[in-house]
Amino acid sequence: MTIAHHPSDITLAGFAAGQLGEARELVVATHLAVCPACRAAARAFECLGGVGLETESTVAVAPDALERALAAIDQVPGVAPIVVPDDHSGFPAPLRHYKLGAWRKIGRALEWRPVAVPASGGVRVFMLRAKPGTRIPSHAHAGIEWTCVLQGAFRHQQGRFGAGDFDEADETVDHDPVVEDGEICVCLVAMQGQIRLKGLIGRLLQPLVRI
Amino acid sequence: MEMAASAALKLRLPGELRRLEEFGRRAKIGARRVHMLSDLTKWDPAAQVAAIATRGDRAAFVALFGFYAPRIKGFLMRSGTAADVAEEIAQEAMLAVWRKAATFDPARAGVSTWIYTIARNLRIDRLRHERGVSADALHDALDSDEPQRPDDIVQGAERDERVRAAMKDLSAEQREVVRLSFFEDKPHAEIAETLGIPLGTVKSRLRLAMARLRQRLDELS
Repeated sequence: MTIAHHPSDITLAGFAAGQLGEARELVVATHLAVCPACRAAARAFECLGGVGLETESTVAVAPDALERALAAIDQVPGVAPIVVPDDHSGFPAPLRHYKLGAWRKIGRALEWRPVAVPASGGVRVFMLRAKPGTRIPSHAHAGIEWTCVLQGAFRHQQGRFGAGDFDEADETVDHDPVVEDGEICVCLVAMQGQIRLKGLIGRLLQPLVRI
Repeated sequence: MEMAASAALKLRLPGELRRLEEFGRRAKIGARRVHMLSDLTKWDPAAQVAAIATRGDRAAFVALFGFYAPRIKGFLMRSGTAADVAEEIAQEAMLAVWRKAATFDPARAGVSTWIYTIARNLRIDRLRHERGVSADALHDALDSDEPQRPDDIVQGAERDERVRAAMKDLSAEQREVVRLSFFEDKPHAEIAETLGIPLGTVKSRLRLAMARLRQRLDELS
């Protein structure tokens, strides 16, 4: 998998600092699962947290804190390994922890399904599936729209986005993606607010698009 | 006896280490070298973690607790956690250090970074009221097993040190924005307001700082 588009450094550092909220975190984690370069970068940004921990101010813990800890370590159980569920096979590991809703149609060539992530900061997560050659109506965003391509590819003004690519759009971006010929395109999307469709077809579709 | 030595180190270390590092900088000796040359080199948190992993060494735990528990509590309170919750999470995090000692990988991270990620994940889970998928599961995407090169062994601690050095290289303005954003967990808009600068300036300073940091770390590989 050749990945051409990555999350920004600020996003990776925000991920490392645990600041993104679960919805955006899931989409970034899905990209990280397939992108060694960004994994390394996110790890590097974790060091920033380590350095902060070491060098910033301390706050004294309760006088009996150590005593309690010493009493507790005798009783702590071993570490339970994280079990990655094996359903929805083929999806990167982070995504497999979440329930997926049924596919629902939007128009003729486009479908979406909700991903059961607790709403975080008004950001929801869903998957989009589009047939080859589908033109997604030109749209603007009310907030962030982060996309990780799981399969297939689309193009828009910022280039070609294939499997593993990460598209970090926000309210400053207008685009009209077109799905490439060949394979069905499946994307994981974290979106804030509603998308605003433009043009005549967009306005006709808008009432249908309640995702 | 080991217990007493660790306890003594616990009391003396933080200030001592900083003074030594300062000395090292002036003498143009790397901090690592300073630690190695100094009498206080027994403060080797990676060795303490290994002692817990291999033989359940309680003295090592006491030393780590003395150094890190107040730091974890400080980190959590800076980022807006109430004192009593911060106390609880610091306690949980230190128990996790004991429990997970065998999973600590010095090639992947320095001890401070490792403990930071433990505290970070506990904090995330608290904020999400345990409703979501655990932060461990999402952040574990980072843990997949890239092949290790032999010289990876020193990389974790080395990387932490590079970041510390890179922080000092930043302009005062960049450093301030990085501190507020990542050490105090302030949203960009709030930083802009606090510093009285446009939001775009906050973002561009952060971008430059992150690029600088990455450049320093890339020199490693």
